[in-house]
Amino acid sequence: MTEHGTGPPDEYVEAEIHRMLAEDPAVAEQGITVVRRERGLVLYGEVESPHRREEILRRVSERFPDVPVTSDIGVIRTQAPTQVEELP
Amino acid sequence: MIRIAAVGDVHLDEDVVGRFRPALEELPDCADVLLLAGDLTRHGTEAEARCVAREFGDLGVPVITVLGNHDHQCDQVPQVVKVLEDAGITVLEGTGTVLESPGGRLGVAGVKGFGGGFAGRCASDFGEPEMKAFVRTTNESADALGRALRGLDCDVLVALTHYSPVPDTLAGEPLEIYPFLGCYQLGQAIDSAPTALALHGHAHHGTERGTTPGGVRVRNVAHPVIKQAYSVFHLGDRDHVD
Repeated sequence: MTEHGTGPPDEYVEAEIHRMLAEDPAVAEQGITVVRRERGLVLYGEVESPHRREEILRRVSERFPDVPVTSDIGVIRTQAPTQVEELP
Repeated sequence: MIRIAAVGDVHLDEDVVGRFRPALEELPDCADVLLLAGDLTRHGTEAEARCVAREFGDLGVPVITVLGNHDHQCDQVPQVVKVLEDAGITVLEGTGTVLESPGGRLGVAGVKGFGGGFAGRCASDFGEPEMKAFVRTTNESADALGRALRGLDCDVLVALTHYSPVPDTLAGEPLEIYPFLGCYQLGQAIDSAPTALALHGHAHHGTERGTTPGGVRVRNVAHPVIKQAYSVFHLGDRDHVD
């Protein structure tokens, strides 16, 4: 097992973070992907508000202070559609 | 022609209220109805349901919804349903409704649905009580959808679910979690009636388009998939359905 802070986080840490994202009431996101990279974890996905994006990184960093985590989470656009789909 | 707007997985709470509203104000110009494919809230609380009522109430077009798994999280389903219905939103669960529109009578049957997996790679009603309960939930949900679809007297028939009825629209999700994203029984229910279109959400990393084995068009309208406030579909005239 890789020790925190000395290398990339191991598979169990990845699993724990993934579950935390869904089960922590302050997050409750099932659509975030956790990817292990050489230098730590990267969080990918899209959420409904900038507040939620910030909260995810804050909660993960708080719970796993020794795991290097970066976020590439976007906020989903809410513009009106410009095209329709015709279904004859 | 009937104009249907649809979106799912909006996951509303106080921090999201108002984000959809500017686009929703345009709805009466481009759609006859708005269908919501579940996961309206983050945790399924009464307070979050009030956010949904503020955002999706008084739109000038009828709004019809099913609930999603997030809307069940806090075990407040009756309160959530009441808040939505008080705001004029029709909540379907193994039920259907028919709307008069300029393009004809639109029938919508809806159910949350459940997981279970797809043909040849699905859970079976066998073994431990927990597994049997899981699969029976799947079966009962699909049976209720089929009955609701077949019971509607309308010109155009649409199925509305949260979980997916086909694997096609899950492409992009990890294969390992397909059994948690939908089940073939929902597709079978949709194919048991003259359904013109099936709409679902739940699969945030999935893709928009698919078809059931019976040829019914399926659209994944989860907000992270469509990346706009809602999608609009124009459904052509079909023969009378009853």
